Amino acid sequence: MGRFILRRLALSLLTLFLLIIVVFLLTRVFPSDPARQLAGPFAPQERVDRLNEDLGLTDPQLQQLGRLVREVVTLDFGESFSQPGVQVVDLIRPALGNSAKLVVLALLLTMPISIFSGVLAAYRKDGALDRSVVTVGLATASIPDFVSGILLQYVIGVRLGWLPATSNAPDGTGFFSGFQYILLPAIAIAFVYFGYIARVTRAGSIEAFASDYARTAVMKGLSTPMVVVRHILRNSLQPTVAVTGTQMGFLFGGLIALEFVFNYPGLGGLILRAAKAPDFPLLQAGVLLVAIIFMISTLAADLIIAWMNPRARLGADR
Amino acid sequence: MDWKLFDGFRRSVGPVELDLVEAYAQRRIGRRDFLRKGTIVGLSVPFMTGIIAACGSEDGEGDGVAGGDGDSSTEGAGGTASSGATGGNLIVAVQEGDANTGLDPVNMLDLGTYGLVSQSFEYLVGLGPDGNIASTALATGWSPSPDGATWTFDLRPGVTWASGAELTSADVAATMDRLAAQGNAGLAGVITEGAVDSSDPTRAVITLEEPNGNFPVLVSLFNAQSMITPADYSDGTTLDGRPEGTGAWLLDEFDPTNFTAKFTPNPNWWGGPVNLDSMEMRGFVDVATAVTAMQAREVDVIQSFAVIGGEGLLDDPDFTLLTPPAATHRQIWFHTERGQFTDKLVRRALAYTLDREQMVSTLFSGRAEVANDHPILSSLPFFDADATPQRTRDIDMAKSLLAEAGVDGLSATIETGNLGEVPQLAAIIQQNAAEAGIELTVNTQDNSTFYGDSWCPGGTDDRPCADADEFGIVDWGHRPVPDIYLGSALGTGAVWNASNYANPDFDTQLSNYRTAVDVDGQKKAIGEMQKILHEDTPACYAYFYNYLSGHSNSVSGVNVTALGHIITSAASKG
Repeated sequence: MGRFILRRLALSLLTLFLLIIVVFLLTRVFPSDPARQLAGPFAPQERVDRLNEDLGLTDPQLQQLGRLVREVVTLDFGESFSQPGVQVVDLIRPALGNSAKLVVLALLLTMPISIFSGVLAAYRKDGALDRSVVTVGLATASIPDFVSGILLQYVIGVRLGWLPATSNAPDGTGFFSGFQYILLPAIAIAFVYFGYIARVTRAGSIEAFASDYARTAVMKGLSTPMVVVRHILRNSLQPTVAVTGTQMGFLFGGLIALEFVFNYPGLGGLILRAAKAPDFPLLQAGVLLVAIIFMISTLAADLIIAWMNPRARLGADR
Repeated sequence: MDWKLFDGFRRSVGPVELDLVEAYAQRRIGRRDFLRKGTIVGLSVPFMTGIIAACGSEDGEGDGVAGGDGDSSTEGAGGTASSGATGGNLIVAVQEGDANTGLDPVNMLDLGTYGLVSQSFEYLVGLGPDGNIASTALATGWSPSPDGATWTFDLRPGVTWASGAELTSADVAATMDRLAAQGNAGLAGVITEGAVDSSDPTRAVITLEEPNGNFPVLVSLFNAQSMITPADYSDGTTLDGRPEGTGAWLLDEFDPTNFTAKFTPNPNWWGGPVNLDSMEMRGFVDVATAVTAMQAREVDVIQSFAVIGGEGLLDDPDFTLLTPPAATHRQIWFHTERGQFTDKLVRRALAYTLDREQMVSTLFSGRAEVANDHPILSSLPFFDADATPQRTRDIDMAKSLLAEAGVDGLSATIETGNLGEVPQLAAIIQQNAAEAGIELTVNTQDNSTFYGDSWCPGGTDDRPCADADEFGIVDWGHRPVPDIYLGSALGTGAVWNASNYANPDFDTQLSNYRTAVDVDGQKKAIGEMQKILHEDTPACYAYFYNYLSGHSNSVSGVNVTALGHIITSAASKG
């Protein structure tokens, strides 16, 4: 297991280094002139040139790349271009916290019901319940999160007034009471992921229910819930864990439309604003952060799968 | 007519004011235009009331504003009277401002930032209850020299900055110098650095490059960047970087990432204590989300919204709709120096394909006025109704003009931002033009990209729109006089001239208009410009539309302008 973890960590570091190069190159192919954008269309050229120098954009490209590597290692991305005097980490931190809060709530809503529905559908394979889970899942997964978000916002937020229609919590809102402000966007995310997770769980569970060890457990006289908990879940959840791990990067950085619909200050919107500004330090930090989240979550998923399935870690050790 | 009374008033004014008084007495302008123009040249309300009384009120003009068309919401023109209730936190939904310019009073470019910064900084000339300019801000009065080339502004006594220092004419002088150095769109060519004589701290005497009968408007809130900042502010200083101001509110917190701001009352405001305990402004990237927040009553005031997407508010009986007077419009520009629209016949052909009535009906449910390919609103005192016939849709004419120009199979791209009804307008233009064989493609971009890449991608330092795309739609906010629409967007070499239009005859008439201090002179020059623009069509102007803003019925005393200002010094909640 130790060698497995070390190998995965080494691979992650290599991936991160490659990502740094890709992100650096991507930000440099932007057609716009950051200093001109920052100074405004009417600023004199001398001021724009001075700003370019101050921002380090006239330094050799290799020097700029080296600076980015150093920034990633020290986690100090310097000052934002678009908000002079403000450290990039101070902009990233609250946005990351907001996104994390939304993702955690969405997963708390999605995972139990999706897994339960998936296992139940597999148990009642080809029955009415199975068809219902598959059909409902397909329907909810087909609707983009921001579309269901707008519908929820209008019906539950505006017409019924049961929950806040936008995600701007007023001052003095406590940590837990603040969750009501993000419940609607979290439900919108849950709609999409319910179908996805439930179907993956269902597929894994069908295979597990048909396995010899499941049949043996039933023949030994174990109750169905006991079979599910002890034998089915451990095997059927491996693809579910893998899928969830690969979706984390998107959940943190890709919910831009949903964030705009609910006026929620998350990481996706921050990265989009940085790209539009363009604010290179903020953009690089944001994109790399999403990449790191993706790497950590896939690594965590691999470790969980290895823990659940000895064959996976033994195979890796060999 | 009470000649004795009239003569008494007439003898007490200078030539600029006298011309206006005569124009009204001879019924060459109506009462509303007299009041509007009189305010601009600095006539006091008692004086104008006296003139109206002396002339008798036979013009039959009321001062009402156009109402809605059967919507359920309450309509309150540009503002509502305050209930006087005290306490509470007012939450205002504003358009998210540009993070790059920040809260920079000199360089700001968007309604969200205008609305926010103007809570703390004030203008020389403020807003009157009729939506016109008035002596409600830092100047208690103003008057022109006989030739209209020098204007004297009397500063309000007892105005202090948040730092405790007193407002003096040195602050006005420093502000005007910064605006002149920066090439402010409204003041470029009107003043230069050193234009303000500040030898008397209570009086700012501003000498112009040439006479200008509308100068007070250019230092009013209708030239959004002209707010007065402290003498020791420098170019690039932002309100959040150094919170200051003479206004009713002091900036307490500002989060540039989410464009949210919190204000506390300025205890030393010259207008006395405000009714509210605090105010919060929340930026919204998407106006639809702001409308939703307003519908759910999560905000109290909404800065602006469009008919499309705003139906829920227009039908809301608990929402007070504010429709301040507005010349807001979209300019459909053609690059006249390069590309496919260098021939005015082609430009006119496209103008003849436009179904303006359909646009007003479809895009605004009638809350707009058809325009005639020039930016002069028909309600202005110097509008010349006889200058040109209203251009209406005529596909045969369009085809014939294209044939005359030798153009067959024209295809082009309309560049637009994603703002309000603009994408839908582009779609209508696309459909309209197709019937004349003009094939258009719509390219809708996010606003930052559009302004930076299509409208003003650079060119030269003083002409950032020189390399504009050949065809596009840009938004213009409200101005009570069309000086900026004419001077900055159509004058030769002007800063926002995306058409790159250059016509010496137009420039001459523009200069005539600016230097004319009498209504007849302005009307003559404006009429000529209407004709020139109609003939050359460097841009199409299809409509002027109502600016929509509003608040919940639980709020009162809010005034707005069509340029994004939200005046809450008299606001009450509950």
